[in-house]
Amino acid sequence: MTSENTSGPHTSGNPKGDKKHREKKLRKESEVDFPEDKEQKHRDPDRDTKHRERPAERDGHASRENPRGDRDRESQGKGKRTPETGTDKGTKRIPRAGREKSHSRGKDRDKDRERRARREEPRQTAQHNLLGWQLPEPAERRARAGSKARAEEKERRDEGSEWGDEERERRYRERKLQYGDSQGNPVQYWLYKEGGERRHKRQKEADRERRHREKSSVREKRDKHSREKSNSFSDKEGEDRHREKRHREGARLDEERHPGDTGRKERSSREELTKRESKDSEHRNRGASSRRDPTSSQEGSCALWYAESLVRNNGKDKDSRKKEIEKEDTDIENAGTDEYTPCLEDDFEDYEDDFEVCDGDDDVSNELEPKEKIEELPLARKKEIQEIQEAINAENERIGELSCKLSQKRGLTEGEREAETDANSSPSRAPVCGIFMDFATASRRQKSRTQALKQKARSTKLLRLIDLDFSLTFSLLDLPPVNEYDMYIRNFGRKNTKQAYVQYNEDNVDRDTQTEEVETKGVWSQHPAEGTAVSGGSGSGDPCDTGAPKVNTPRLSRFLRAACQVIAVLLEEDRMAAEPSWSPAAQDSALRISDSASQLNTSLPFLQNRKVSCLCASQVQRQTVVSVHGPPGAASDPALDGRHVLCVWDIWQPSGPQKVLLCESEVTCCCFSPFKAFLLFAGTVHGSVLVWDLREDSRIHHYVKLGDCFWTFRTATFSTDGLLTSVNHRGPVQAVEPISTSVYKKQSFVLSPFSTQEEMSGLSFHVASLEESGVLNVWVVVELPKADLAGSLSDLGLIPGGRIKLVHSATIQLSDSLSHRRYEFWGAAQTLSVKFLPSDPGHFIVGTDTGLISHGTRQDLRVSPKLYKPQQCGMRPVRVHVMDFSPFGEPIFLAGCSDGSIRLHQLTSERPLLQWDGGTDGRAITGLRWSLTRPAVFLAQDDTSCIYIWDLLESDLGPVAKQLISPDKLVAMTIVGEAEKASGGFLALVLARASGSVDVQFLKRVWAAPAGDELGRLRLLLRGAL
Amino acid sequence: MTSTTAASLPIGTAEGLLETEKNAGESENTYILRPVFQQRFRPSVVKDCIHAVLKEELANAEYSPEEMPQLTKRLSETVKDKLKEMGFDRYKMVVQVVIGEQRGEGVFMAARCFWDADTDNYIHDVFMNDSLFCVIAAFGCFYY
Repeated sequence: MTSENTSGPHTSGNPKGDKKHREKKLRKESEVDFPEDKEQKHRDPDRDTKHRERPAERDGHASRENPRGDRDRESQGKGKRTPETGTDKGTKRIPRAGREKSHSRGKDRDKDRERRARREEPRQTAQHNLLGWQLPEPAERRARAGSKARAEEKERRDEGSEWGDEERERRYRERKLQYGDSQGNPVQYWLYKEGGERRHKRQKEADRERRHREKSSVREKRDKHSREKSNSFSDKEGEDRHREKRHREGARLDEERHPGDTGRKERSSREELTKRESKDSEHRNRGASSRRDPTSSQEGSCALWYAESLVRNNGKDKDSRKKEIEKEDTDIENAGTDEYTPCLEDDFEDYEDDFEVCDGDDDVSNELEPKEKIEELPLARKKEIQEIQEAINAENERIGELSCKLSQKRGLTEGEREAETDANSSPSRAPVCGIFMDFATASRRQKSRTQALKQKARSTKLLRLIDLDFSLTFSLLDLPPVNEYDMYIRNFGRKNTKQAYVQYNEDNVDRDTQTEEVETKGVWSQHPAEGTAVSGGSGSGDPCDTGAPKVNTPRLSRFLRAACQVIAVLLEEDRMAAEPSWSPAAQDSALRISDSASQLNTSLPFLQNRKVSCLCASQVQRQTVVSVHGPPGAASDPALDGRHVLCVWDIWQPSGPQKVLLCESEVTCCCFSPFKAFLLFAGTVHGSVLVWDLREDSRIHHYVKLGDCFWTFRTATFSTDGLLTSVNHRGPVQAVEPISTSVYKKQSFVLSPFSTQEEMSGLSFHVASLEESGVLNVWVVVELPKADLAGSLSDLGLIPGGRIKLVHSATIQLSDSLSHRRYEFWGAAQTLSVKFLPSDPGHFIVGTDTGLISHGTRQDLRVSPKLYKPQQCGMRPVRVHVMDFSPFGEPIFLAGCSDGSIRLHQLTSERPLLQWDGGTDGRAITGLRWSLTRPAVFLAQDDTSCIYIWDLLESDLGPVAKQLISPDKLVAMTIVGEAEKASGGFLALVLARASGSVDVQFLKRVWAAPAGDELGRLRLLLRGAL
Repeated sequence: MTSTTAASLPIGTAEGLLETEKNAGESENTYILRPVFQQRFRPSVVKDCIHAVLKEELANAEYSPEEMPQLTKRLSETVKDKLKEMGFDRYKMVVQVVIGEQRGEGVFMAARCFWDADTDNYIHDVFMNDSLFCVIAAFGCFYY
C-alpha cells in the first residue's frame, strides 16, 4: 500500500479527475440505469450474456449507445475484450501458429498488459480513496473480501508450490524484492501472469497431466468450494486449500484459455453458471449492505464488490489492513459517492470476465466457475467439453513446440530485456501503474537491434570488398522555361486554327514553264523568183512588229546623222541626174570655162531678197561653203528682219543649206575652223568676233516656220560684242583667219563634220582677227567641258548651253612695224588682209593699202624680208586686198592689188617673182585664188565680174581664159575643189551673183586635172623667173 | 504543380532477409559481389519497359491535380512489377515517378547516387505531352 501511495500522487491525479468527470456525466445515466442494473443483477443468468452482447451492439451502433457514456464504455471495453481475447488466444493463435509464434505472443502479452494497466487504474484510485478514508467496515464484507483475496493468493501459492519452477520462483522473488512486497498485487499479478504464460509455454505436458488430475478432483473441488464458502471468514484457514485449488484451477484455466469458437459457447454457459453462483454471495452482500445502509443499498453492494476486489488484489499480506479498506468502502458509501458505484459495479462485473479471458493463466476469479460449471453440466456435455479441450491442447502442444525454440532463444536476453522494458515503459506507463513491462516492444526492439547489428557486421564486411562512389549527377529532366509569347501561342495561338489537307481533282496536274512561248511565223521565199511571187507567209500582218527593238539611241543618232547626209547627197545627185536641166537657167548658166554648173537654192523664203556679201570655203572640207547674206531688201519676216544670215552649204546638196546662222550685225569676213569645219568664225563691222558651233543641238536655238518646214536659226555661240573692250576691235574686222600648224598634215575627208574623231582632234588653235587700224588680235578657242543650259555668269558672251568660247590671247600692233618706215607721211597704213603661212603659223603676211605686204611673226621675231614690195618702186596708193598662199606647200603667195596687178611673191624675197600688171586691164582685183587641184593654176576676179584663169605652165604672161559673168554680176567668188585621189577630183567655182543667187561652176578638166609633175615644172618655172 | 511520389520498393525483402539471416548464421563470407551477367541491371531493357509503360498509360493523359497522386503511384507500381518480372536477381529497385503540369515553367530534375558503379545503375525516361510531363526513374541497387 505504501508503495502504491508513492506512485499514487502523480498517477492518480489524472484518472481521478477523469473519473470525477465521468461520474458527473454518468450520474443521470446511472440513475436511469439503476432499475435496469438491478434487474440485471437479479436476472443473473441473463446478465452475462447481455454483457457479452453489448460490445457487439456497441461496435455496430456506437452512436446509439453513446448516452450510456463511460460506464458503457468501460463495460464495453471489458466486454469486448472477452471475445477478442478469446479469439486471440484461441482461434487466432491457431491459424497464426506457424509463423508468428513469438510475435503474436508478444503482442498478446502486450495487450494483456495494457488491458491490465487500464483495469488497474480504477482499482488504484479506489485504493487510494480507501486509504484516505479508512472507516470501520462490516465484518461480513471484510470476510468476503478476505475470501477473495485469499483465493488469489492461493493461486499464487499453488503456482509456486505446484510447479516449483525455480527460475520463475526466483524471478518472482527478485521482483518482489525489487518492487517491495508492500507494493502489492499489481506486481505479483504481473509476475503471476508471466509465470503463467511461461508455464503455459513450457509445460504443456504438465497441462495434460493436470487435466487428468482435474477431472478426478472435480468432486473434491466442489467440496472445497463449498467449504471455502463456508469458511470464508477465516482467511488463514482457507489459504492452503485455496492454494491447492488454485493449482488445479490454474491448470484447468490453461485449458480454458484455448477454446475454439465452439468452446466459447460452452464457456459462456459455464460462466453463466458461475455467475449464478457468485450471485448468491452478491445477493447476500447486497442484502446486508441494504440492510445496513438503507439509503444507499445499491452503492453498498457495489462498494463491497469493489472492496472485495481491492482486498483480493492486496492479497493476504495486507490482511491487516482489510479492516481499514472496508472502512474506506463504507466511507465511500457514506460519503455518497454513489455516482461511480454503477461504474465500479459494472467494472467489477466485467472484471471477472476479463480475468477469465485475458488472464486465463492465472486468473483466480474464474477458477471457481468452470469447476462448478463442470459439476453442473450433464455428463454428455462434459465429455464434449473434454474432447474439445483435448483438441485444443493438442493444438497448443504443437504451437508450444515451435514457440519453445524461440522462447528459449529469447530467454537468454530476457533479464536484460525486462530491465529495458521497465526503463522504457516507466515514463509512458508509470502514470498508470508505476511498473510496466512492455515485452512486445522490447522484443521487437531487441529483434531490430540484433538485426541492425547483423546488418552492420555485414556491411562492414562488405564494405571491405566493394567500393562505393558517388555517381555523376544525372540530369533527369531539364525543361527550360518557356517565354511568355511561346506560352501564349501554345495555349491560344492554335485555338481557332485547324490544319486540314484536302486533295481534290487528283488528276488535275498543272504544268508550268518559265520560258516565254516562242512566237513562230511561217514564211517562205524563193530565190529565182517565179513571177511576182517571191515570198509569202501565213500571216498577212506582222504581229511581231509591236515589240519595239531596243535601241542604242546615241549610236543610232550618230549613224542616222552620218547616213542621212549620205542619203541626202545621193538623193540630191539622183535628182540632178534625173533632171539634167534642173532649172533651164542653171543649165544655161554653165559657163564656157566650166563643164557643168549647179545652183544653190537661194530661193528659200528667208534668203529671198538677200544679197550675198561674202563667200567662204572650208580648207578642210572642201565641199562646205558658207555664204553670207545681207539684210533683205523687203521685210519678209519680223524675226529675221535686219539681221544677216549665214548659210552653210554642201555643194552636193544645193537644195538647201546645212545650217542657217543668224547674226545681228553685218558680217565682213568669216572662216572655218582649221581641222574640222564645225566652227565658224566671223568678224563684223562692229569689230566683234563671233563663233558658231555647228554641232550644237538645234533645240537651244529658236526656229521659225517658214513655208512648210521648220528652219533653225542659230545665233552665235560666243560673241566678243561688248566684251573685253580694252582689247577688242574698234573698227570693222577686215579678216578672220584660223592659225593652225598642221592643216595639211591632218587633212581628212570624213564625210560627216561631226564624226567622233573630231571631238578628240583638239581645239587647240587660235583665231586671228585683223582690223583696219592694224590691230591683230589672237584668240584662243576654248571648248568648255560641259554645257550649262542655265548660262554662265563669267562668260557673258556665251549662249546658254554653248560650249565654245574665245579667250583673248594677244594683240599685235601691225601699225607700229609699218609706221617706222619712211612712209610716215602717208599716215597710218591700213591693213586690209592677213594670211598665215600654212607651213609656219607663226608667220603671217598683211596686205596694206600702200601696195606693200608686211611680213610679221606672232612672236615678234625678226623676219626678212619685212616687206614685200611690188616691182615698181615708190609709194603708191595700191590696196592689196587679196592674198593667197599656195595650197601645195610652195613658199609662194599671190597678191592682188586694186590697180589690177597680180604679184607672185616668194617668202624669202622682197620683190615679187612675177608681176602681171595688165592682166585685167587695170581693173581692181577682188578675188584671187590658187587652184586646189593644180599647183600652177590660179583664178582671179575683177570688179567688173570677170573671171580670169591663169595657167603658169601654159603661159606666164597672162590669163589663159577670161569669162565675163553677166548680166547677173558676180559679187563674190570662192573656189572649192578636191585634189584628185582615186576617182578624180573636181574644181568648182562658187559664184555669188548680185541677184543673190549662188551657183557652182565645175571647171573644165583642163584646169581641174593636174598635169604630170606639175609642181616640179612650176618650181622650175619659178626658179627660172628668179 | 508537381506531384511527386517516391515509391521505394524493396523487392523481395522478406526473402532477402531470410537469406541473409541464414547466411549470417551459417557461414560468414558467401556474399555475391557481382550479379550474374544475365541478371545484371540493363538500362536499355529497363528503358524499354519504362517507355512501354509510359506510352501505354499516358497516351491520352491530361493533367488533373486530383488524379495525379494515384496515377504516379500506379505508374510506379506498374513499373516496379514489371521490373520484378524481368528477373534482376538480388536487385533492389527504386522507382520514382514525377508528374508535373506543363505550364511553361522551367523544371530541372537531377539525381545523384552513392553506390557501386559496377553493379548499380539507373535509367530514366521522360514523357511529355501538351498538358503534362512525366519522368520515371528506375534505380537498381545490387544486394550483395
